[in-house]
Amino acid sequence: MKTTSHKTSEQNESVQKRLLSLFGSPLKHYAWAVLSVSIITVIGEILTPHLDLINIVLLFLLPVLISAVRWGRGPSFLSSFMGVLTFNFFFVPPIFTFAVGNTQHLFVLVVFFLVALVTSTTATKLRNELEKATEREIRTLTLYELSREIAAKADLEQVLKTFLDKVAETINGTAVVLIQDPNNEILYKMAATLDNAVFDEKEYAVARWVLEHGQPAGKELGIFEGARSLFFFPIKAEDKTIAVLGIRPNIESAALSPEKQQLIETFANLVAVAIIRLQLAKEAEQAKWLAESEKLHRILLNSISHDFRTPLASITGAVTSLLVEGSVYTQETKDIFLHTIREEAHRMNRFVENLLDMVRLESGALKLNMKWCDIEDIIGVVLRETRDALQEHPLQIDILPDPPSFMADFILIEHVIINLLENAVKYSLPGSSISISAHCQDRTLLLTVADPGPPIPKTEQEHVFDKFYRLHSSKHTSGTGLGLSICKGIIDAHGGSIWVDSSPEYGNRFTFSLPVPEELSELTQTREGTDNVG
Amino acid sequence: MSADGARVLVVDDEKQIRRMLRAALEGYGYNVGEAASGHEGLGQTSIFHPDLIILDLGLPDLDGIEVIGRLREWTQVPIIVLSVREHEDDKIKALDAGADDYVTKPFSMGELLARLRTALRHAAKLEDTPILTFGELSVDLAYRKVTIRGEEIKLTPTEYEVLKYLAQQAGRVVTHRQLLRAIWGSNYQEESQYLRVYIGQLRRKIEADPSQPTYIITEPGVGYRLITRDY
Repeated sequence: MKTTSHKTSEQNESVQKRLLSLFGSPLKHYAWAVLSVSIITVIGEILTPHLDLINIVLLFLLPVLISAVRWGRGPSFLSSFMGVLTFNFFFVPPIFTFAVGNTQHLFVLVVFFLVALVTSTTATKLRNELEKATEREIRTLTLYELSREIAAKADLEQVLKTFLDKVAETINGTAVVLIQDPNNEILYKMAATLDNAVFDEKEYAVARWVLEHGQPAGKELGIFEGARSLFFFPIKAEDKTIAVLGIRPNIESAALSPEKQQLIETFANLVAVAIIRLQLAKEAEQAKWLAESEKLHRILLNSISHDFRTPLASITGAVTSLLVEGSVYTQETKDIFLHTIREEAHRMNRFVENLLDMVRLESGALKLNMKWCDIEDIIGVVLRETRDALQEHPLQIDILPDPPSFMADFILIEHVIINLLENAVKYSLPGSSISISAHCQDRTLLLTVADPGPPIPKTEQEHVFDKFYRLHSSKHTSGTGLGLSICKGIIDAHGGSIWVDSSPEYGNRFTFSLPVPEELSELTQTREGTDNVG
Repeated sequence: MSADGARVLVVDDEKQIRRMLRAALEGYGYNVGEAASGHEGLGQTSIFHPDLIILDLGLPDLDGIEVIGRLREWTQVPIIVLSVREHEDDKIKALDAGADDYVTKPFSMGELLARLRTALRHAAKLEDTPILTFGELSVDLAYRKVTIRGEEIKLTPTEYEVLKYLAQQAGRVVTHRQLLRAIWGSNYQEESQYLRVYIGQLRRKIEADPSQPTYIITEPGVGYRLITRDY
């Protein structure tokens, strides 16, 4: 019941609309035309004593012009007719008759009528063109807005969402984009303005047809005559339909005007370009990533073969010497062989540790095991680990009294300090002193490892933390150039920073900083309070 | 060195490791048995009757943690776990499952032998003496007295409890959880920041240089160990 009553009222409205208009202009506009001619007649009556008849007739061109510009062709024609008649009736002698006294007046009337007609036709045409231009401008603006919004979006989902919102706004309804799963035949919904925009079997079949044939379908567009208003447009790029746009106006059984259809097709072209652009960007990124990882693999393989083989060569050499039958070596020499084996095995183990750290950092699989740590404790563990490597270097340790605790992954920070120490050992002469110092500044913990080695040139300072970077002056030193890049990766992951400053006076100072959060000091304080020395 | 003929079962799938361990351990007078898989290890335990098991955590057939669990269902034989450095979680799991200690691959033989002796000693419960001495540190359990380099030091009750627990387990790793449970009770077993604070205080009282501790050492990510003169 409700729907039928709604329908009849809608029909009534449209009938009324049709009745109220004549030649495309509403009756109201004709009334305005009549009124304007009447006003001019009154003004003419007032001015007659002061003006010639020829000047009065010019006044009557005003309503014609106004009608043409404001109310369209019908009202302006009406103004012309009425103008001729009223002028003739009220102003051309004999007054108050439609008769015309002399030929001169007849000539004036005829010329006025012709001028009025030409004016109204031209003005109407101008008005129509203006309307069209405005409409075109709006359309261009909409397109421009859409293209700008789409260009700003970096992922497909957002692009489609913007596009669908625009389409939905234009047609006053809902819209959906369907894309074919590359692995099977199923069309699935990629994006929609309404989540519940569901199609029945038949409608899906039409969408598939649109995808396969690359032609729009829907009411009055071809092949499809559904009960509900539904239109499908292909989204084409380079002659290939990559997706289907489905739209459903809110008003049932509504048709789509050619202008709207054209606009939507333009939208679809625009979004197709955007989709292709995103696909290309993705491919370019993948290609770049591939090239980078290929380069990484190559360097990694080179370094693995070098850094594993060097210690292996020492070990093999030492062991085979020891295994030679009837050995000529003294116990002292044998000890040298054995120490070589131990040191080289240790070096290989460190190398494996660094490789593992690097792989974890690279793959993003690095999980920080954040715990409260004491810098003194970590340094203690580091020194135990590096005892052998640091044998030839006097060590200075300077830790501020009562260092603050901080949140960090104990083992990874340990790796950082070990790497910094091994770096210091590698680049400084035996016997030179290496120092570790820890300080705290504005809730930041600063740890510095300093060595008196040759200072790193300014230009190379920022590169020493790059992966596989080796100093130009130290090509002969063994190592992968992994250590410092791992340090940087780990410190970055902790939200800290790492840097080096060098000078001929003090050599190189590698420093990293870590944030120190407010400690849960009340916890330890309350415990201490009840836990007196007894 | 101790040629007590203790029976050690080595469970490792790597033949080279087994061969090396057999040679080294037999050199020190141990009686060595071998198993190449978890199942074989479980079987050998009931046949070989080892006094100690060296168990690799990365076995091909059974998870090392599971092997420990199954063994602990019926035997308290000491287990020393072989693990790699990167897997702290595995070490903690193994220790919580009932392993006695661990060594990290690659390990030095001296380190392994020290762990072995400590574990065997604890299993034999030979340490019921009231005074525990480690180098210049001694802990008198009867009088709650701690001396370092001949001088008595004052400890708070909690510091004393921490040191006592570590001293009673001397040479063995003690996990954070074990220490917390023993001293504060099971409600506090996740609060490792307590420990950090007390260990720091203890070190300042005991160690000559707290940044290079010689008594209480940190096992990163796992716990602490009071080291004996063994290594």
